[in-house]
Amino acid sequence: MTNSAQTIDPALYAAVTDAVRAEARKVLESGAVAAVVGWQAGRRAGTAMPTIVTDPAKAADLIFSPACVNNLALYLTKAKKEVRGKGKIAIVAKGCDLKALVGLMGENQLKREELHIIGVVCAGVQGAAADRSLPLSEATIAGKCRECTVHTPENTDVTVGTLTELPHFTPTESAELARLEAMTPAERWSFWKEHFSRCIRCYACRQVCPFCYCEQCLCDRNRPQAVETTPRPAGNMAWHIVRAMHLAGRCAGCAECERACPMDIPLNLLNRKMARELKELYGHEAGFKPKEKGPLAEYREDDDQSFIK
Amino acid sequence: MHAHKENHDFEPKIIAFVCTWCTYAGADLAGTSRMQYPANTRVVKFPCTGRIDPVFILRAFQKGADGVLVSGCHPGDCHYMAGNFHARRRFAAFRALLDFIGVDLQRLQFSWVSAAEGGKWVEVATELTERVRALGPMREFKELEAEEQWSGVIDTPELQEAYNNIP
Repeated sequence: MTNSAQTIDPALYAAVTDAVRAEARKVLESGAVAAVVGWQAGRRAGTAMPTIVTDPAKAADLIFSPACVNNLALYLTKAKKEVRGKGKIAIVAKGCDLKALVGLMGENQLKREELHIIGVVCAGVQGAAADRSLPLSEATIAGKCRECTVHTPENTDVTVGTLTELPHFTPTESAELARLEAMTPAERWSFWKEHFSRCIRCYACRQVCPFCYCEQCLCDRNRPQAVETTPRPAGNMAWHIVRAMHLAGRCAGCAECERACPMDIPLNLLNRKMARELKELYGHEAGFKPKEKGPLAEYREDDDQSFIK
Repeated sequence: MHAHKENHDFEPKIIAFVCTWCTYAGADLAGTSRMQYPANTRVVKFPCTGRIDPVFILRAFQKGADGVLVSGCHPGDCHYMAGNFHARRRFAAFRALLDFIGVDLQRLQFSWVSAAEGGKWVEVATELTERVRALGPMREFKELEAEEQWSGVIDTPELQEAYNNIP
């Protein structure tokens, strides 16, 4: 079924780009929003970068392409206070970005009425190491997009673009997860030990995560110190366990951590595993309904306790 | 005279994170009732199991624990109404995460021990101690802790040779 020659038609992205520009100009001209958070073309051909447009004349800078990998929800979190200070904000959101927005609303970090969400139909974005000049195909598409279930964002203010039939991609992340789960604990330990030992503790995974908005991270505290800050294997292991634990039940799987990681640590595997585990245990899936408590913030009296003596 | 005590090659270090209202009182009852259980358990008292952050468990393992016991009030008996319900979910998730990372879950025990269950405390502490004793020392985290600890590997053959070559 999988055909490596199959590509996604770039016309889909061109149509979305036009619609995003038109919508951005409309809301900026009418004064409905103070700014639009979107993507614009990067300096190198085939790249894109986040931008904040406040002038209707600049709306034509906005684009949507397979290079629009960033999760823009990050720009609305506490970490970027200056953006939200401007007033009502419009944000261009792919399906996976929308899940992050919904999660942030559920955690009272954002108010729906202060946002104008321009949902974009997205067939997928490029993987971290992909050649930017090639169209999206089995070779260049990001891991998360291979198994995407939210190509068309829902409950937005406006959704632009129409989805064409997509080629079937190999679900590499689920395959890798299954491979790890089939290992013995000792093999898994050496797998993660090898990966985490490479970590340089640049905290790119934390800075890029829409859910890591704590003003003081537990892992930066030193009296008492919870996690060693030196990039040694011991501290790295602790940091990645704590990171996965703090995102459990909140992470909506935008995989930005994995994309931003300079050492190519498969961080989204941890997120995926925790998301699946919490779905199995408590039937919770992050990022679909705002105003719900996360699975670790609520409880039921009849929760499973077979592991407790 | 004291009964003859068997010497073991390996004495496991067990850290017990307990809630002050139930398990700590239960362990206290075991003590005042003069029940015997292995002295390997180091009890750390918390106001509630809801206060026990998974980081504490991690840090216990990193700093040399061979086994960790987390114990608190039975569901419904929490002094703070729902602390142990929240803890139950958190630890279920944390267990899954540790398992995925490759930690042997036999070294991590959760239990509900009420203030009246001195006997159950003895049973839980003994069982975990004996199980960990059979498993041997927890090497994974300790080895990790020793890695890239430059002061620890200062006596390498290369360094020794360099030292010997100093004229």
